[in-house]
Amino acid sequence: MKVTIKLFAFLQDQLGPTVTVELDQPTSVEKIFSAVAELAPTLRPVLANSRLAVNQEFFNGDQLSLQPTDEIAIIPPVSGG
Amino acid sequence: MHYLRISDDVIDVGDLYQQLVDPQYGGIDMFVGTVRQWTGDIETTKIEYSAYHPMAERQLEKIAAPIEEKGGRVVVAHRTGLLKLTDIAVFVGVAAPHRAEAFQWCQHVIDTLKQEVPIWKKEYDTDKVRWGN
Repeated sequence: MKVTIKLFAFLQDQLGPTVTVELDQPTSVEKIFSAVAELAPTLRPVLANSRLAVNQEFFNGDQLSLQPTDEIAIIPPVSGG
Repeated sequence: MHYLRISDDVIDVGDLYQQLVDPQYGGIDMFVGTVRQWTGDIETTKIEYSAYHPMAERQLEKIAAPIEEKGGRVVVAHRTGLLKLTDIAVFVGVAAPHRAEAFQWCQHVIDTLKQEVPIWKKEYDTDKVRWGN
C-alpha cells in the first residue's frame, strides 16, 4: 500500500512536506522509518529520535495496520517554547 | 483549555492576562518566553517557529485538561512565523485559587509543552542555521 507521510522541521527541509512510500500491511514503526531513511540515509540520526503520529496522536506501539484514510506523520524532536 | 492559540499573531500579555482574571482565583502565574540573543557562544539573530496543526492544539488541550478539571484556568499562546530578538514566542498563564498550584501548574504546562507539543524552532545563528532542541 502506498502511504503518504507528513514531515516537519528538519525533515521537511530535507525532503519536502510529504513523502510517499510503499509499505506492506500490517507494518511497524521501524519499517515506516526505514522506508523514509532509504530516501535520505543522512536523516537516520534524526529519525532515530523521532516519533510517529497517526491521526494526530502519538503512536507508542510498534506494529500497526494502516488504513488509506489515516494521517501519518513523523514528529522530529520538538522545540517549542 | 480556557484559551489557546498557535498562530502568527503577536502575543499581547495584557490581553492574555485579562483572560485569567476571575473572582474565584487568588493566584495567577504567567511565563513569557522570548527570543534570546546568546546561548553560550552562539549568537542568535532570529527564530522561525512552525507547528503541526491541529495536532499541536490537541496536545495542548491534553496538558491543560487535568489542570482545569482541578479548578485551574489555563491560557496558552504560541507564535509561529519569524520572530526577532526579544519577541514573545510563548505565553503560558495559569490561574488557581492559591499561589502554590498556580506556580506548579504553570511550570508543568510549559515543561510539558516543550516535550509533547509538535512545534519547532529554526534558529538563525550568526554561524549557521540550527533546528532547535
